[in-house]
Parts: sequence; structure tokens; C-alpha cells
Amino acid sequence: MSDEQLQPHSAFRFHGSWQEFARIAFPNLLLTIVTLGIYRFWATTREREYLWSKTDFIDERLEWTGRGMELFIGFIMVLLLIGLPFFGIQLVSQGLIFQGAPMLAGLLTFAMFLSLFYLTGVAYFRALRYRLSRTYWRGIRGGSDDPGFQYGLSYMWKWVVGWLPLFLMVPWAMISLWNDRWNAMSFGPHRFSANAQWTPLMKRYLLFYLVPFLFLGGAVIFGVSMAASGSAPDALGDTGMAVGGVLAVVAVLAFYIIIPLAALAFYSKYFRMAVGGLRLHTLEFAFRARAVDWVLFFLANMAIIICTLGIGYIFMPYRNWKFFVEHMEAYGEINIDELTQSQTVVEKHGEGLLDAFDVGAI
Amino acid sequence: MSAFFDVAHYDGQKAVKRKVEVQVVGSQFYLLENERRTGPFAFSDVAYVTKQGEADVYGLVGHDGWRLILSGPVPSDLKGLLPAPRNYGGWVDRLGLGKAVIAFALTSAAAIAVVLFSPQWLAPLIPDSVDDRLGDALVGDFGGRFCHTPAGDAALQKLVASLDDAPQDLRVEVAKIDMLNAVALPGGNVILFDGLLKQARSPDEVAGVLAHEIGHVREKHVMQALLRQMGLAVVLGGVDGNSGAMVNNMLAMSYSRNAEAEADAYAMKALGSANISPVGTASFFDRLSQLDGSAGVVKDNAGITGYLSSHPLSASRKDAFEKSIVKGKNYKPALTPSEWAELKTMCTQDRKAKSGFGFDFN
Repeated sequence: MSDEQLQPHSAFRFHGSWQEFARIAFPNLLLTIVTLGIYRFWATTREREYLWSKTDFIDERLEWTGRGMELFIGFIMVLLLIGLPFFGIQLVSQGLIFQGAPMLAGLLTFAMFLSLFYLTGVAYFRALRYRLSRTYWRGIRGGSDDPGFQYGLSYMWKWVVGWLPLFLMVPWAMISLWNDRWNAMSFGPHRFSANAQWTPLMKRYLLFYLVPFLFLGGAVIFGVSMAASGSAPDALGDTGMAVGGVLAVVAVLAFYIIIPLAALAFYSKYFRMAVGGLRLHTLEFAFRARAVDWVLFFLANMAIIICTLGIGYIFMPYRNWKFFVEHMEAYGEINIDELTQSQTVVEKHGEGLLDAFDVGAI
Repeated sequence: MSAFFDVAHYDGQKAVKRKVEVQVVGSQFYLLENERRTGPFAFSDVAYVTKQGEADVYGLVGHDGWRLILSGPVPSDLKGLLPAPRNYGGWVDRLGLGKAVIAFALTSAAAIAVVLFSPQWLAPLIPDSVDDRLGDALVGDFGGRFCHTPAGDAALQKLVASLDDAPQDLRVEVAKIDMLNAVALPGGNVILFDGLLKQARSPDEVAGVLAHEIGHVREKHVMQALLRQMGLAVVLGGVDGNSGAMVNNMLAMSYSRNAEAEADAYAMKALGSANISPVGTASFFDRLSQLDGSAGVVKDNAGITGYLSSHPLSASRKDAFEKSIVKGKNYKPALTPSEWAELKTMCTQDRKAKSGFGFDFN
């Protein structure tokens, strides 16, 4: 990418190379396979160590100090504290159905679903907290003293409010939760402040929201006009069939291309608004990737994965991080003397929850 | 005696980068900055943190963010005192990548082998009381779906007694559920679904299916499968999501196919000693094979469908049962016509039994 020439003064710079990353990723893959997946916590850690150490902020590299063992412990905790009880509940509710108490089984399942929903929110929060607390810059780290239990509740009610009016408030839920999350985080002595606005997102969101209806509408109008003109497509013979076929292909393509495009257009705006609303003391942040950049990024990812018959998948952490860093921007000044060590608590376990629910970064 | 080395240093309190000299005194060292001297620090408290480009970064136990950054070649005097860099993580670094991969692969293979093979001799060790309690918890009165009439019960009892030498530890019931199925559950529970009785054209067919399920009970397949599933879930717990579930299912299925074959063999023997003809069972599987579409690949035992379905192909089972017919043997029907009629209509006669699986509360 030629971004470095366009933005020579970006505060964030990435120096990694995929060849170097390959020397980490391939042994990782091998070790992960022969350990039946257990090595993946150490694999993730090695990849992050590399990516962080190849990322400059202003004049010094970032440092990832998380350990594989922490992620492993987090995973084991989730297995014991959540996996096992849930497995038990599932058995019990199956038994209840057998024994003719489906109502009770339904209630139990619903309670399980609710607690999973809650824990997903807590997991998002704690993953961000963990990542900040393990990220050092000039010997200073981030973190939060909030355990995220309150956030789990906000996560539940805000998403419900987002979904209730026919999913129209989803952008509000996303931005509001982003703000909640980041407002609880700090780096060094400074608290982050997040004031992202959600209303500017609505145009893109409505576009994405309405695309399926526009297609449905188009199809209905086409059908009706055909019927009105008194001829179904096949009544026109071969040409009619051809026209119908082409239309069907267009509809399928539209469904698989235009809807994802609309989603990406929305997401790129969301991420720009979200990062743009973020401040740390005297620093302001921005994310410069536009919808086109996201589209090209995803197409390239897909091409890499397909052309390598799936092996390229192991480069995705590298690609994601590079995309993220190369489009991040920070403005303002930092007083190095004022930047003192974070006093936030440091948890000894990693992203167990998040890992278990398999949800993405930041 | 002391030696001096120039290094970069963060004290972990402030983000100010310092150029310091390391003064080594025995197993301790001081940091000198202009006229200021801090320390002493013990080399045994120094921990390797990460690699940043060409530089090795060290921390100090108990001092958050304290860093020594040694770039370029480290003088050998100092290198001997500092901890070794970490690459893959503890064990792998100690063994070397090649040896570690072999060791992990062997361990994993052993773990999988234990999980796959141990249930066969573990299952008989599980006390019957545990098995019974599990069966009671799981089955209970099946939500009142079991059908009973005096004559029907007697017919069923006769059938069970003719197929098994110790019918008192079996609990065979007919459930008012319209499915073409039968199941063996823990605690010697065997449930025939009413749909199966309705579809069966002779008591011999039911006898074959019942003998098959009793085979599962007598060979302890249910407990084996439970143990195996639990073991696989633990061993493959480290593998994430889909691939783990897929491997798990493939392994479990290959074993359940084995179990089905064993149960079939048991059924043929039981039918033989009860003097019941296997013809009925063969024709039952023949009709099933029309349903599951395996009729076209009758002879192709290793066909893809055969591998992926947990039951051996109905068509090949039909062949097996046909082969077990002893020519010239004087088979007698499993039940008299009136007994058969009572059994077949038991669920229709018993109006108190609940039907179906749904949320039907009365």
C-alpha cells in the first residue's frame, strides 16, 4: 500500500513484513495441530508480540506483554465456570422435555440464553481491558478498574432497544456501547473519553436496511408488470427465458454483492465515527479507511484465502492489524513527563470469555 | 570488579526514555544516569519481555513497565547474566521445535487413543446403580407417553423374554410417538416408538428391532458412547469451533457404526436362539432402504453415504440379516396373531397416554 507516502506524518506506522510473519505463523500452525489446538493461545501471543513490536507510535514501538498461559487460563476458566454448568443445564432441560415438562425446559433454556447474552457483553469489555493492560508504550500501559459487570447489563438493554423498533436503532446501540466501553478505559494516568455520534450513521444504515426491500420491491414490480402485459416470461419463448435467467442471475449477484457492500459502507462509517469520537487527554484519534478501502481489503483477503486453498487464513491477523494501524491517525501532543504509570488492576487471566464466544477484536 | 554497558531504559513510572549505563557487580547491577545511580537490582529478577526489531527487551519482576532495551549484539559478559530470549514458549524452546512437535504429536495421539478405546473397558466398570439412576433421570415416565394395556403388556413381555435371558433388568416400553424409531437408553431402558409398531408388518420385524436395541444394552454401548463423547469433548476442547466438532462427529460416528454392527450381530444371534425368522427384519430394512435412498448402492458398503451416516446402510443390513437365515430351520412367529394385534393397537387403546413431543399440556 502507498499510504505512507500519502501520510508521511502519521503517528502510527507499521514496519512488519509478511515474510517475517510467515516464519511465526507456519510453526504456530504446526504446533497448534499437533497439540490438538491447545498451542493456539501461545500462537496468538507470539503473533501479537510480533505485530505490536513492528508498530510505531510517534517515536517508540508498542510492546505486547500478554502471555500464552494467561489466555490458556482464561479459556480453562470459561470451560469450568460457564461451559460445564451450561452443559449440565442442557442435559437437565433435555431430561425435562423427556419427562414431560417442556415449559420448565423452555424457561431454563431462556435463562441460559439470557446469561450468555449478558456474558457476551462482559466478554467484549474485558477483552478490550485485557488488551490495553498488556499493551506498553515507553514502559507505560493502559487498563481499567471496571470489571465490566455493569457493562454487561448495558449491553443487554441497549441491544434490545436497538432491535425493538424493527432494528432501526442498531447504530445507536453500537455507538453508545462503544462509548460506554472506551469511557471506562485509560492509558497511563489519563482516562479515554469517547463521544462518538450515532445520528450521522443513519443514512448509511438506512441504505443497508432498505436494500433488501428495494430488491423485493423491484421483483414485485417486475412480476406485476409482466402479469399486466399479459405474458409470463416463458410466453415470450427463448428470449423470455433468457431475460428471466439474466434477471435471476442479477438478483442473486445483487444479494451476494450489493448487500455485503452496503454493510461494509455502513461499517466503515461506523468505525470512522467511533474512532473519531475518541480522545486521550490531549490526543485525538481518527480512522482514515473509507468504504472503498474496506472493500478492497476484504476482496484481497478473500483472494488470498482462495488462491492459497485456505492456508492464507493464517495471515489474516497480520492483514487485519496492518489495515488497522495503517489507517489509524492521532493528533495533538503528548507530554512525556505527564505520562505516568497506570494504577489500574492487572488481571492474571486473558480473554477467556471472548475467546469462548469467538467474537472479534476492538 | 565491575563492567559498564550502555542501554536504553524506562523506569516504568514515567514515559521518559533514559540512556543509562549498566554497572555489573557480581550477580547484581546498578543503573547510572549522569551522576544518579539506582539499584542494586538482582539479575535473577530480570525477565525476558519481548523482541523489538533487533533489540531484546527485559523487565524486572515486581516493577510494572520497568525496561532495559539492549539493541545490537549484547556483550557476552552481560548475555551470560541475562535470561534467555523466549521464542515459542517454555517447553518448545527447551526441546527445540522439531522434538517438541514430535513429542506433542505423540502425546495427542495417545490422548485420542485412550479416549477412543478406554470406554470399551471403562463402561462395564460403571456400577449398575449409576447406570440405573441416569436412566431414571433421563427417562422417568417419559412424560406419560408410555402406552399400557394388560394384553399389550403381556405380548411385549413375551417378546422380550423370548429374546433375552434376564428380562428383569430390562425396561422395554412403547411410547405414543409417531416416529419410525427405537432407542436404547441408560439403565437398560429400551423405547419402541408407536410409529414403528404401526409400520411393522409382522411381529418378527419388531422382534428384530427389539433384539438390536437389547444388543446395545447388553454390549454397554450407551455408557460407552456417553464416555467417549465426554472424553472427545475434553480432548478436542482446545480445537476451536467447527473443525473440532467435525473431527469429534467423525470419530464418534465411526464408533457408533461399529456399535450398530455389533448390535445387529447380537440381534441375529438372539433371533436364532428364540427361533424367530430374520426374514421379517430383512424385509423391514429393505423398506427402510427405500426411504433412506441407499437401495441404489446396495453392494457398495464403503460408499460415501455409508461412511457419513451413523447407521450402516439399511440395504447392507438387509443383506446381513438375509444371510443369517438358516435354510430348513423350523422358525415360529414371534407372537400369535392375537398377541400381535394387541401390541400393535396398544397405543390406540390406551387413551390415557399422552402423544407426540410438543407442548401439549392437558
